[in-house]
Amino acid sequence: MSEPVAVPACAIPGTPLANATAGIMACVHCGFCLQACPTYLALGDENDSPRGRIFLMRSLAEGDLALDDPSVHTHIDRCLGCRACETACPSGVPYGALLEATRATLAQVVKPPLRARLILALFARRGLMRAVVAAARALRATGIPRLLARLPGDLGFAFAMLASSASPLSRARYRSRGTGARGSVSLLRGCVMEGLFAAANRATERTLVANDYTMVPAPNQHCCGALHAHAGDLEGARTLARRNIAAFEAAGAELVVTNAAGCGALLKEYGHLLADDDAWSARAAAFSARARDVSELLAAAGPRVGAPISYRVTYDAPCHLQHAQRVHAEPLVVLDAIPGLERVALVDSDQCCGSAGIYNLLEPALSAAVLAPKIAHIEVTGATLVVTGNPGCLMQIGAALCRAGVPARTVHPVELLDASYAAAARSGR
Amino acid sequence: MALHTETPSRASGPQPEQAQDRRGALIQTEALASLLAAIVGERGVLARPSELSAYSSDGLPGYRLRPRLAVFPHTTQQLVDVVRLLARKQCPFVARGAGTGLSAGALARGDAVVVGLNRLNRIISIDPLNRLAVVEPGAVNVTLSRAAGAYGLHYAPDPSSQTACTIGGNVAENSGGPHCLKYGVTLNHVVALKVILPSGEITTLGNADGEAEGYDLLGAFVGSEGCFGIALEVTVRLTPNPQGVRTLLADFTSIDAGARATSAIIAAGILPAALEMMDGPTIRAVEASIYAAGYPADASAVLLIELDGMDEGLDADVQRVEAHCLAAGARTVRIAANEEERTRLWQGRKKAFGAMGRIAPDLVVQDAVIPRTRLPDVLREIAAIAELRQIQVCNVFHAGDGNLHPNIGYDSRNPDESRRVGLAMRDIMQACIDAGGTITGEHGVGLDKLEYMPKIFSPESLAAQCALRDAFDPERRANPGKVVPVHSCREWVGA
Ligand SMILES: Cc1cc2nc3c(=O)[nH]c(=O)nc-3n(C[C@H](O)[C@H](O)[C@H](O)COP(=O)(O)OP(=O)(O)OC[C@H]3O[C@@H](n4cnc5c(N)ncnc54)[C@H](O)[C@@H]3O)c2cc1C
Ligand code: SF4
Ligand code: SF4
Repeated sequence: MSEPVAVPACAIPGTPLANATAGIMACVHCGFCLQACPTYLALGDENDSPRGRIFLMRSLAEGDLALDDPSVHTHIDRCLGCRACETACPSGVPYGALLEATRATLAQVVKPPLRARLILALFARRGLMRAVVAAARALRATGIPRLLARLPGDLGFAFAMLASSASPLSRARYRSRGTGARGSVSLLRGCVMEGLFAAANRATERTLVANDYTMVPAPNQHCCGALHAHAGDLEGARTLARRNIAAFEAAGAELVVTNAAGCGALLKEYGHLLADDDAWSARAAAFSARARDVSELLAAAGPRVGAPISYRVTYDAPCHLQHAQRVHAEPLVVLDAIPGLERVALVDSDQCCGSAGIYNLLEPALSAAVLAPKIAHIEVTGATLVVTGNPGCLMQIGAALCRAGVPARTVHPVELLDASYAAAARSGR
Repeated sequence: MALHTETPSRASGPQPEQAQDRRGALIQTEALASLLAAIVGERGVLARPSELSAYSSDGLPGYRLRPRLAVFPHTTQQLVDVVRLLARKQCPFVARGAGTGLSAGALARGDAVVVGLNRLNRIISIDPLNRLAVVEPGAVNVTLSRAAGAYGLHYAPDPSSQTACTIGGNVAENSGGPHCLKYGVTLNHVVALKVILPSGEITTLGNADGEAEGYDLLGAFVGSEGCFGIALEVTVRLTPNPQGVRTLLADFTSIDAGARATSAIIAAGILPAALEMMDGPTIRAVEASIYAAGYPADASAVLLIELDGMDEGLDADVQRVEAHCLAAGARTVRIAANEEERTRLWQGRKKAFGAMGRIAPDLVVQDAVIPRTRLPDVLREIAAIAELRQIQVCNVFHAGDGNLHPNIGYDSRNPDESRRVGLAMRDIMQACIDAGGTITGEHGVGLDKLEYMPKIFSPESLAAQCALRDAFDPERRANPGKVVPVHSCREWVGA
């Protein structure tokens, strides 16, 4: 056999990917991540697997492949960023960070598609974003999206997503009371959550208060920047992160809470995102240490048990809760506090639904291929409510159920808890 | 061992001579790609170098050979058509399952085309009454066990890679696993194979009744490392889940003590379902990973021992094993209290190889079998070699059957370290051979162990192996350049 080939030094110095080579080198090529990867399962090509993508990254860093190689872009674009590979990897490869670094590096050479840039620009502009979601909400209220949800193709799917964002639960208003002794919390309202899932936001506030937290408003907050970071627009994400850190510092609460798994994953990574920014790194790390998913706070509190409400439900874990934040048990603890629920286990509940931020808009065909088994598994459960804590998943799964004619809706876990508390208030308990 | 390359592995570097040599082949490659695409569709063929790189390594990435083409049939018929086309074009090929092999067996030498079987992953049937299952070659090992679980059955051979590796790959490597100590390796569980020979002819070896018919050709095919053809359909025996299972973790302050306990347990006539050993560095790598199993981080060695069978009598065996461990110097012996703890203890063991990725950027693993009684001596010798070559060896292995897996972490970007690792690998192998051992327990010869074959086989026996291969693949187009060194065959042909 030939003699050892000396591996050259990094071929792309100064790029975000160059700073991530230690993470790339942690991959030992064992293949344990293959069966965890939804795109590998759907396509059967190692280039669309974690191991293959890491190999592509390594080839970029070593100069074997050029930054403008179209195949590299194809396979990196197809990654959902679901990070199921991270929770399968014994070697601790920080795949999420590698993906962001790779996308940021590739974006320097080839701009992301126009669709993606428009969406990101929209999310970064608070006023405009609010106007757009307000319009969407008005449209939703007309009931037209539900009628148009069966239209074929992407357009019909978009209407179905909008229609499915409406809360499936109606509940009586009730006044939530607690001691406030568990500490003060500010809610990251979230662009999509506040725009289309306001009911879940209010439910979050009420259930936290009922479990003895004090809610403190944080008025100057922005989009969390998760979509930007995932798309490789790290600078855009950093700008938004700095604004949020300042806004929540000014609010002065002990903790920051979110009910959107995707937002929460990035809040917890602000420290990493701003690690090289001397002026902000310490503040960012402190902010990340204070960030929590709502289910973590509720689980820590017990939580208080409500009155019985009877639904047959199944839980689907959002990737950014399960794999990125590694929060597994807490949402189930929240459901445990609701008497009367009939809980059915969902096969492969830790697999991605294909929503993945704006992925379903950029890679609709593959997104649909990843989604199909999820819907089939849900149908088998016979559940009428699919519980999941992330707006993208709520709409993606909700839309597919609606279009497939499966008689089930999606709902955020805190909304169910809230409904249970509302029932308790009504019965005077 | 270090990074080995034959075909250009770096797309950017100029390779004028090779490009010239291969020009003829390259034109053919395009034509071949379109013929293959006519069978499997455009999306079933990879022809761009940038997309073929992902197929240049298996689980031992120190070797990189980029294939010229890769084809992925989606149905058995497509696979048959592909192999027949390759036969007509006289084209060499290499099967690839999940690419978790640890001997660079699935790499394409020369002009071989990679035939990827991972899309042929269906479980065709499960027959719970006769305890048989029929699967496509790309079915993942653990998927089969999960499906069989519905009937209280499982597929017994459980390589540590079982969540990723394919049954076809298992057949080709005659893979083992922790529980093979009691239940036997792949060969003991495959009852029939439908195979396609490199000529395109389809034949069935063995049968579901397990009756022998003349020569044991099934036995010859299992472990043939892809050199005899491709398994199209595999019929395996399923094993009933045991009534009772007890999992013990014994920890020791020296490797020696662990090795003595192993010998004592086996000598006492106890047959555990599994008996695995991990040394201190391995334990610490696992404990730092997401598969942390609660092994004592300050131990020099742990034994993971599983006993199974009828509930009656099981606890008496547990007590005997515990006594042997304590007598050999175990600090503590812990028994898994429930299924959750048992799973955790096993996950740590099974993901140990991957977890070692945290120690160094590159990793090589050796796979030798030695007589169990020589375990303490050989382990001491390996430690001395590590000291001499200034490298770090982690040991994690199937102690019960004397199958060693010394792992060495290193940085391939450091040429001196790579050289020392290569030397140490040879020293270790030599030590195992000298102790009366052999060069592969379960990972196969592939490319990695080729150089050791003449050390353990005489020229006559190598020539006989070539003759057997010729019976299946006279044109030597299936996985060329693997297992038996080419010159051995030339000598035989010339003789
Ligand atoms: C972390 C880790 C742990 C491991 N633990 C074990 C262990 O405990 N025990 C063990 O025995 N091995 C172990 N291995 C090695 C490896 O997983 C096995 O050799 C496995 O059987 C390879 O399967 P594969 O599908 O990945 O095959 P590949 O690596 O793709 O191929 C291996 C060989 O099989 C041939 N082949 C594949 N499919 C077919 C087919 N259908 N017909 C004919 N030939 C075929 C290929 O040409 C190649 O020569 C481990 C590997 C890793 C990475
Ligand atoms: S599991 Fe981790 S180390 Fe193994 S191949 Fe995947 S990313 Fe690499
Ligand atoms: S993030 Fe998800 S889609 Fe991307 S490589 Fe990992 S498992 Fe696959």
